[in-house]
Amino acid sequence: MTLWRSIRGTLAALGVTLKAIFRRPATIPYPEVKRVPAPRYRARIVLTRDPRGGERCVACHLCSAACPVNCISMQAAEGPDGRRYAAWFRINFSRCIFCGLCAEACPTLAIQMTPDYELCRRDPLELVFEKEDLLVEDGGKDRDYDFYRHAGIGVAQARGEGSEEEPPADVRSLLP
Amino acid sequence: MPTLTIDEREVSVPAGASVLEAAEALGITVPHFCYHKALGAVGACRLCAVEIQAGPQHGLRMACLVEARDGMVVSTTAPAATGMRRAVIEYLMLNHPHDCPVCDEGGECQLQDMTVAGGHGVRRYRGKKRTFPNQELGPFVEQEMNRCIQCYRCVRTYRDYAGGHDFGVLGVRQRVAYGRFRPGRLESPYSGNLVDVCPTGVFTDKTVRFRARVWDMQCAPSVCPHCSLGCATWPWARYRELLRVSGREGPRTNGFFLCDRGRFGSGHANHPDRPRTPRLDGRELGWPEALEALRERLTKLTWAHGPGAVGLLTSGRASLESARALGLLGQALGGAPVVCEPHPRRDRAVRALVAELGQLGRDQEDVRQSDCLLLAGLDPEGEAPMLALAARQAVRRGARAAVWDPRPDRLPFPARRIARLPEALLEALARPDGRAPDGLEAAERESYAETRAALQAAERPVLLGGADLLGPRGVRLLLAAARALSRPGRACGLSLALPGPDSFGGALLCPDGPDADELLAGIEAGRVRALVCLEADPLSEHPDPARVAAALGRLELLVVLDHLPTASAARAHAVLPTTAAAEMDGAFVNHAGRLQGFARVYSAGLPIRVTGQGAHPPREFRPDTPGELPQPGWAVLAALAGEPVELGELRAELARSEPRLAGLAGLVAGGPGVQLALEPSARERPDTPAEPGVAEGELALLSVEALFGSEPLSARAAPVAGVASEDALALCPADAARLGLGEGEPARLRSALGEAVLPVRLAPGLAPGFALVQRRFGGPLEGFAPGGGPIACRIEKGGAR
Repeated sequence: MTLWRSIRGTLAALGVTLKAIFRRPATIPYPEVKRVPAPRYRARIVLTRDPRGGERCVACHLCSAACPVNCISMQAAEGPDGRRYAAWFRINFSRCIFCGLCAEACPTLAIQMTPDYELCRRDPLELVFEKEDLLVEDGGKDRDYDFYRHAGIGVAQARGEGSEEEPPADVRSLLP
Repeated sequence: MPTLTIDEREVSVPAGASVLEAAEALGITVPHFCYHKALGAVGACRLCAVEIQAGPQHGLRMACLVEARDGMVVSTTAPAATGMRRAVIEYLMLNHPHDCPVCDEGGECQLQDMTVAGGHGVRRYRGKKRTFPNQELGPFVEQEMNRCIQCYRCVRTYRDYAGGHDFGVLGVRQRVAYGRFRPGRLESPYSGNLVDVCPTGVFTDKTVRFRARVWDMQCAPSVCPHCSLGCATWPWARYRELLRVSGREGPRTNGFFLCDRGRFGSGHANHPDRPRTPRLDGRELGWPEALEALRERLTKLTWAHGPGAVGLLTSGRASLESARALGLLGQALGGAPVVCEPHPRRDRAVRALVAELGQLGRDQEDVRQSDCLLLAGLDPEGEAPMLALAARQAVRRGARAAVWDPRPDRLPFPARRIARLPEALLEALARPDGRAPDGLEAAERESYAETRAALQAAERPVLLGGADLLGPRGVRLLLAAARALSRPGRACGLSLALPGPDSFGGALLCPDGPDADELLAGIEAGRVRALVCLEADPLSEHPDPARVAAALGRLELLVVLDHLPTASAARAHAVLPTTAAAEMDGAFVNHAGRLQGFARVYSAGLPIRVTGQGAHPPREFRPDTPGELPQPGWAVLAALAGEPVELGELRAELARSEPRLAGLAGLVAGGPGVQLALEPSARERPDTPAEPGVAEGELALLSVEALFGSEPLSARAAPVAGVASEDALALCPADAARLGLGEGEPARLRSALGEAVLPVRLAPGLAPGFALVQRRFGGPLEGFAPGGGPIACRIEKGGAR
């Protein structure tokens, strides 16, 4: 009985192997062949630009506040036109867990996740991306949005000239 | 004590309290914008709606405006109340811009908090938003008027609380705006409070515009180091840089507010030339080598020439623990005495106060609650700005105020004024009969008699003075006057502005040491061969800089421990970097004898703005922090004495050895502090001789402190350096005419303090016979150390500037 059981066990396992030989393989020969993930895949983070080509990031610190692993740091500064921007912006990808909370928090749609998952480096310092490494020449997922057009404090256009604003009030007028 | 029920819980509150305050006593926060503890209620924002279900009133009411009464039943969660609050938030948000990501208030914005808490998310109204033009309000305050919710807090602070005149409310209907009539710098020395009181981002701190978010900053309860009042502060730091200071609630001291010097003067901790590495004979060393070499040299000098060969000098800037550690170094060197102030007259004035004050010291809260004030020889704007604000609150409540001072009146409240030096008047006040001194004009005699009568009749009188003008004799006279005006059961208090944040504590630790002149004499005679200066700058603070310079040149070893790039540090053989107040734990004793602790906000180091040169931080791995070497003064001194200690041990030792400082053992930063149990010294009070006055016909020069630029810490802060007033020589118009000088004309000023050519400024409020200069670091008046009282001077037309 023992012998028979052994033979049956060997043949059954061999059968499974033989069946798998004619199936399509699950693995791909990376890096010769690269898989294309879905557009909403969460990998390398980028900083996008507004429809006029300006930096969207206003260095509001919401991404760094949302980041659960504290891999984002930045310094805000004021441009000559009163625009708030990031003097420097750094993401440490050796710490990033690609959770996407930063992109979700971003009020100006500046920070976005891309499907580019090829982020390995031999030197950990190369995984520290500065602003110039993160900026892309594109609007990303919502190309038409321009935060300063709606902010209502007269930075991208003169005060009171936004689409939802009235012209500045004359506070010295006593007319009703 | 009415008892009422709020949200089914009973509470008893003092009569006159509002329902909002009663709810707060229960720990229930009724949302509000316009109500502020210090400013009271006006009912402008309509947010604090509650439903009153039983009692004298019924229905939906504003909690801040309804007085709590017996038997009231209040609900803060009734549907009518929450519905009203939701509607109010929605109305307020109709016009509010959509700019929280670029607003500096974000994260500490009451409007943001309330909007999120109330669940408002979508603007249903489709109409357009109202906008306003902005105003340029000077270097400290940034305005973004579109964010305004018309709560009137700013006007109530600026005009009502602080007595400013150049800021107000304009417009009608929904065009109500707050600002100046014309753009320009806000003139009030308390303008920075707009930043703190604004519940949204209309007024933000321009000096740190876009520099950091509140949640990214480090902060800890601290005590303001810019004058002797010891106001409660929150310093905020990020990336090893002290960015800003905001007011902390100090019930006994500042209340809620701060002066602009305290608020914007913190940049000294980021000074680019600040010593950050121990330096000996021009070489930079690590701590162990520097301390070893210095200890050896100091010990050798002591062996060779006796314990008096090393002089020890501190100042009111050093913390209590550091001053104590200097004393311990003196003991380790065989008994070298400590000199506690580089200015001998200031030193004697402070020691006179500490010896005799007893329980007469009065904090700002006592001044606010006072019903009769006398300001003798005090110019609060320069010496203790918040004291003027405290006095103003007393006057607003109906207190009478009198000023005896020859300087122009810059007080934010009305006061009866005698434009004379206060000494003779105080002497008269201290006499039992109180007869007016000779030489007064009829109106002045009447004013004096009225003030004296008011002080005697008052329930809570307080005498305010400035140590700088009064000097030791004046301080003793002020103390004598306070005692003479006290009756059993009702003391006349005293509040004296001192030179530094810990002048009181320093004098407490060395009641009878030598003064700076004796130290200089020792150096000149060759007895003292080495000098250790703890956060003291004799070259800028002593009234005779030339003599100090010569004396320092004779020293074999000058050791300076400081966190400022002072003139003395530049000449020192050894510079040991210490930490600024925000970078260490410590304690100060304020002008009224209140011991207050402060906590470390951040660790000293080169700011990332410096290491990254404005761009991103350097891309490198290193185990240490650049510029981390500065150590607290006490730690350096203890190591120098060869006995390193922990702060707790040092405090325990101090509490043991000085019973009046027993409260130090359990001191917590952020608490109300401990009023020291002071007893007036039992020793015979020495009769201080009158100072050599100024001869008849000669002008008396007063060198005083200004709001900005005079005080050594804030004078080195970048935002403040640009706003210090121009150097000028103030003369009363009659004196100027006699000298043939007109407004703006150059005049040559010669005095014992030094010589300078300055433009003349006509000051109609200045008493005849006086010339007034304000010391300013970095200008021709740097050597004109305040604290010297009136001295003789000669003024002539003239000279190229």
